[in-house]
Amino acid sequence: MHPDFKATPQEPGMSPELTRAILTRTSGDPCHRLQSLACDFVDGTLEAEQASLVRLHLGHCGACSALVGALAGLQTDLSAMAQVDPGPWFTQAVLRATRHLPIRQGADLREFWWRLMHRPRIALEAAYLGAAAGLMGIYLPMPVPDLALRIPALVQPLGDSALRVAEQMAQAERRTTTTLQRSLRPVAKPRLDSLRRGNLWPRVSSWIKARLPFFLRTPPSPPSPDAEKAPPANPG
Amino acid sequence: MELPQLLALVRRGDELAWEAFVRRFQSRVFGLAYHYTAQAEDARDLAQEVFIRIYQNLALVPGEDGCLPWIIRITRNACIDHLRRRKARPPLWDLPADEMFDLRSTDRNPEEAHLEAVRKTMVHRALQELTDLNREVILLKEIQGLGLEEIAAILEVPVGTVKSRSHRARLELAQKLVAAGMGA
Ligand SMILES: [Zn+2]
Repeated sequence: MHPDFKATPQEPGMSPELTRAILTRTSGDPCHRLQSLACDFVDGTLEAEQASLVRLHLGHCGACSALVGALAGLQTDLSAMAQVDPGPWFTQAVLRATRHLPIRQGADLREFWWRLMHRPRIALEAAYLGAAAGLMGIYLPMPVPDLALRIPALVQPLGDSALRVAEQMAQAERRTTTTLQRSLRPVAKPRLDSLRRGNLWPRVSSWIKARLPFFLRTPPSPPSPDAEKAPPANPG
Repeated sequence: MELPQLLALVRRGDELAWEAFVRRFQSRVFGLAYHYTAQAEDARDLAQEVFIRIYQNLALVPGEDGCLPWIIRITRNACIDHLRRRKARPPLWDLPADEMFDLRSTDRNPEEAHLEAVRKTMVHRALQELTDLNREVILLKEIQGLGLEEIAAILEVPVGTVKSRSHRARLELAQKLVAAGMGA
């Protein structure tokens, strides 16, 4: 038996029936509370204060004592049940069954596809990816020239607060555009060149056609510290 | 022999290495299949099927620590498929569970071994009365010793669910054992 929950001798004059009657009419049945803590108690993951309260209850409650004892015994029983002998002929039967089977040296594409299609959440995952791609298509900045500059003029009739919001949105839009142009330029430029060389350009969808040149526009370069230090080439 | 070396030999087609591999994992695979199906014959067929799958997919077997969880995962999938098929065709007869556990009790005091077999049989029967999810959590966590994250990935439920189910299932099992007069 687990050393922690050996019943402690009851104090003289204490009647378990009396305690139970008081608890039932006040806080409720403590055995129910103990059940919610029993696994942590057996695992030793309960805080010391709560563990001592559990121990106190176990000293007075035979039913909970038996339950915690069974829980502790289960730990040993269950871990000992991981291995069950399949019998003396099992190994030979497996060796016979695999004797003439070929060993595949790599996972082929068909198998990968089969596994992918048998994932229970493949439909959900595909829908998620589709939705993400759709949202990116909608919310990536469209190559409309100077759209950001035109927003304030469009919302001016709506009043000052709308104008302030629109200006902040326009600033954010300009920053996003600059960042995207800087980060995508090294990736998109060689891809575009190879597409042109391979005569694949006519087959590229209009969506890509519309966006690639937009990302290739040279972003406004930040002020260079060298330029400030260098003496003016043509003074006056 | 360490598992990576053994696997390398098996992949090269060494029959002795394959035999050693089967012997190393057969009790695990059969044990899991037996607790899932509660039928020794079905469990033997399933375990054999699992080893055939492993042999045909040796390139996919992870080395070292990932191997056992991988084997447990494919055994579990085979068992779930089998149980789905079996719903339409219930089993006729099988070896009683106490005889299954007695098969292993050879090298100790016979009385002690018999008592342990009786306990295991009771636990095995009580397991069959749990709900499917609670039983799986007990099989994978308490019996096979997988981690919470691994079980959550296999069962496709949140880690918190595995933990709370594990507590509930252990408590339920303990209550069944106490009711059957098996409290410690
Ligand atoms: Zn109690």
